[in-house]
Amino acid sequence: MDRVVSDDLAIILTAVLLGTACGLLGPFLILKRQVLLSDAVAHAVLPGIVLVFLLFGSRAPLAVIVGAGVFAVICVLGVELIRNTGLVHADAAIGLVFPVLFALGVIGVTEFAEGVHLDLDSTIYGEIAFTPFRTWEFFGLELARSLPLLGTVTLVNLVLLILFWKELKVTTFDPSFAKVNGISPTLVSRLLLIAVAVTAVTAFESVGAILVVTMLIVPAATSYLLTVRLLPMVVVSVLVAWVAAVGGYGSAVSLDASIGGAMGMVAAFCFLLALLFAPKYGFITRTIVRTRRRSLTAGPPPSVPEPAGRRSA
Amino acid sequence: MSAASELKAPALEVRRLTASYSSRPALWDVDAEFPESSLAAIVGPNGAGKSTLLKAIVGLQPVDAGHVLIDGKPASENLDRVAYVPQRDAVDWDFPITVKEVVEMGRYREAGWISRLGQRDHELVDQAIERVGMGPFARRQIGELSGGQRQRVFIARALAQEAPLMLLDEPFAGVDARTESALLDLLLSIRDGGRTVVVVHHDIGTVRSRFDWALLLNVRTVACGPVAESLSPDSLRRAYGGSAGGSDVELGEWTG
Amino acid sequence: MDWLINLLPFSYTDSVVFIGAVILGVAAGVLGAFAVLRQRSLVGDALSHATLPGVCVAFIATGAKDASTLAVGAAVAGFIGAAMILAIERTGRIRPDAAIGVVLTSFFSLGIVLLTFLANFNNANQAGLDRYLFGQAAGLLESDLVAMGSLCAVSLLLVALAFRPLKTALFDMSFAGSVGLPVRLIELAMTAMLVIAIVIGVRTVGAILMVAMLVVPTVTARQLTSRLSLLLVIAGIVGAMVGSTGALISASATLPTGPTIVIVGFCVALMAILLAPRRGVLWRSGKLLRDRRRALNEGVLIDLETALHAGAPPTTEELATLSGRPASQVKKGLRDLDRAGALRTEQGRIHLTESGAGMVHALLHQRSLWSAWLEYGWTLDIPDAREPDPRDLKSSLGDDLTNTLLQRAREGGWTAS
Repeated sequence: MDRVVSDDLAIILTAVLLGTACGLLGPFLILKRQVLLSDAVAHAVLPGIVLVFLLFGSRAPLAVIVGAGVFAVICVLGVELIRNTGLVHADAAIGLVFPVLFALGVIGVTEFAEGVHLDLDSTIYGEIAFTPFRTWEFFGLELARSLPLLGTVTLVNLVLLILFWKELKVTTFDPSFAKVNGISPTLVSRLLLIAVAVTAVTAFESVGAILVVTMLIVPAATSYLLTVRLLPMVVVSVLVAWVAAVGGYGSAVSLDASIGGAMGMVAAFCFLLALLFAPKYGFITRTIVRTRRRSLTAGPPPSVPEPAGRRSA
Repeated sequence: MSAASELKAPALEVRRLTASYSSRPALWDVDAEFPESSLAAIVGPNGAGKSTLLKAIVGLQPVDAGHVLIDGKPASENLDRVAYVPQRDAVDWDFPITVKEVVEMGRYREAGWISRLGQRDHELVDQAIERVGMGPFARRQIGELSGGQRQRVFIARALAQEAPLMLLDEPFAGVDARTESALLDLLLSIRDGGRTVVVVHHDIGTVRSRFDWALLLNVRTVACGPVAESLSPDSLRRAYGGSAGGSDVELGEWTG
Repeated sequence: MDWLINLLPFSYTDSVVFIGAVILGVAAGVLGAFAVLRQRSLVGDALSHATLPGVCVAFIATGAKDASTLAVGAAVAGFIGAAMILAIERTGRIRPDAAIGVVLTSFFSLGIVLLTFLANFNNANQAGLDRYLFGQAAGLLESDLVAMGSLCAVSLLLVALAFRPLKTALFDMSFAGSVGLPVRLIELAMTAMLVIAIVIGVRTVGAILMVAMLVVPTVTARQLTSRLSLLLVIAGIVGAMVGSTGALISASATLPTGPTIVIVGFCVALMAILLAPRRGVLWRSGKLLRDRRRALNEGVLIDLETALHAGAPPTTEELATLSGRPASQVKKGLRDLDRAGALRTEQGRIHLTESGAGMVHALLHQRSLWSAWLEYGWTLDIPDAREPDPRDLKSSLGDDLTNTLLQRAREGGWTAS
């Protein structure tokens, strides 16, 4: 039997698909200030995976995705409930809820599922290097199963974004306006976080939780420094994720290091470059513009584009 | 003009509305009505519940008792007839979208979930942008706009909603006098187009000289009617007491 | 340390874990409070992940495997991570949550890369990462306890010594700066405390769960007290209790230590949120229900009075139409009022009893007082900062002021002072 794609290509394609799926969602997490909630959700799905395994003895993707989705919702609702009491700040509510869910998952794994192909290592930090060896057969051809899985998730995310583009936009920009106009911000937020959870859980076995969270956060944050419009922000976010995927694989091979870790490092490096040199918001760019204006006018304080995020906060 | 508007049916009616933040009433048994095709103001001292009233009307603030009627029907059933303009600082102006995209949001209710905007929607959006004089700025990122321009964007979004009732929360906060006057001209022309415009405002002088109708609010309704009646020296004293510009000289100027 | 271990009625290993968990609880509780109260709990999450590359570098650089060398590496990396978060926030566009997320994932990726180098260079294996992610309390040694204990003791001592500046800065950084406190230094100290708490705890509960240990004690203590000094003490005690209980349960049920401690902690925090006196969810929802009910009953009573004033005693249905409330609400209100002896029903028509009339009178009086306050309240010279409670103006303002107010209202005139 032939493998349809070479091992190297399978790994790179897996990472590119993951980058696309995450890069599409990330910008909205950044703009909705739900970055850390997405991190929490990515961890909180663990008990869902374990429970499905314990109940049905299965790691069938669909069952696992449903189980994980349920726990993603539990996590988000739990955080909201605790925050809505007004007794605990949002950050602390997140810090209370996701560790306990994750802890339940860890106990489930160590107590009931140890040694039965459900090990924590691969769930949490995965090993993308193994993806070519977990295969599915299609019409006599062997294909790394992460490809159709992540391909489907990427497609679903893309369709979600296209269908709910205006809903995502309005609920993120002006939630109370959206609410008055019959578009529930809570509903849209929840949809987004379920998409995050599904993406995370699908990617777990191939790349692990940490790389998922990295791909969700870092490319989108990089893109936020480079763009001033929403569609370009999403596109650039996906592009940065691709750079991280391909560049990460290349450097991992040449350095003989963890592939997932190297992809994270490349993404972080992109972010650092943008932080320093982005044309409008980069730290060094702004410093240069400021000094130049100061030396030109030497009079009134320059009206350099200030960190505008603060102004409205 | 106010005499004429009295004859028309109220576009917005508030009956015995009570709303509270943690058991302290922000609004208490508030009664008010706003006639059709009028430029009306909600005025009152700080903490009088002006913004709370707007939020309660559009259902953003839970209500303990009472009800709101829009064109004689419960507000919750008639929300498509309201365009609500929140305070400017309620949103993130650093958000990566353009003027046109914000105004397009005014068409979202009509379009419904998922479906895209049609040609008519885009025409309405363009008209609304032209109407508020933001044509040259339509493709700008909203963060690059001044306070007055941002308010114009919000008003354009409300215009694009084509709702007969427009509610604006403190649209003149933080803009200079020239801009305020220009925005007021805009609102007056919108009223002349047949819409009812209700504005939360704090400058009694402007309200007296340029608005038709006023609700004077201090947790309860102090007065509601044509500005000449509702903003009489006596009711102003009852609402503001000595706290806000309460010297007799200034009161004289208001009533003068 | 020996005597303490011998003193405990457990096996040697269990005793070591027990003591370790207590130290962890106290450190995370007291030191974590300064992060949680500044709403920066999740910085703790980022920093506990950020310690991984530090541990790896310390290992590569020195080849030593002993806890204190690795802890120094972890602490340095934690500090760098904290500095990076601040730096990213200060450059402008990136908001705190994204900055925390970026640092968390970047440092952790670096850690994983370094870990593969370790695996390539010598016999260390992936088990190291496991231990790091989920903690391994069983691996604690007596010498670790001594190191953890002394680190904890020194930082607690520093907190006690610097309590006042810490408190000032915690409440209002810019005020602290304006009165000449070394704000930067204090911020640095707070970060250092967070890093120390993490370095002490991460070995026992692991990087992912560490944040819970920082959050649980402060959230619990905050429900029980509003004073910072007491809060720190309670947080320390709660942390110690959670740690020790979790360690005991995990030992007797042979469950993994870190997750067990975290689950115990969550239960404790949840109990506090639900049950705390005067603040907890149960207490407040009870109060909310009572308030709603009272408002409804008063409203129905006033409606009834209005109806009686206008004409014949109404039936329940008539009253509902008249008041504009849903019939079920009116019925509920009438039932309560009936139970209080305010009503008398004759042939389906509702009358007020004498005590009912008294209640109406009191209510109207209270409302006219509040009206008077809204209108004339500004004319009163109130000697202190007391503010009126609309539902009980008389006792919140005091008799004298209430009488003056009523008098002003009666005069009805413009009697500015």
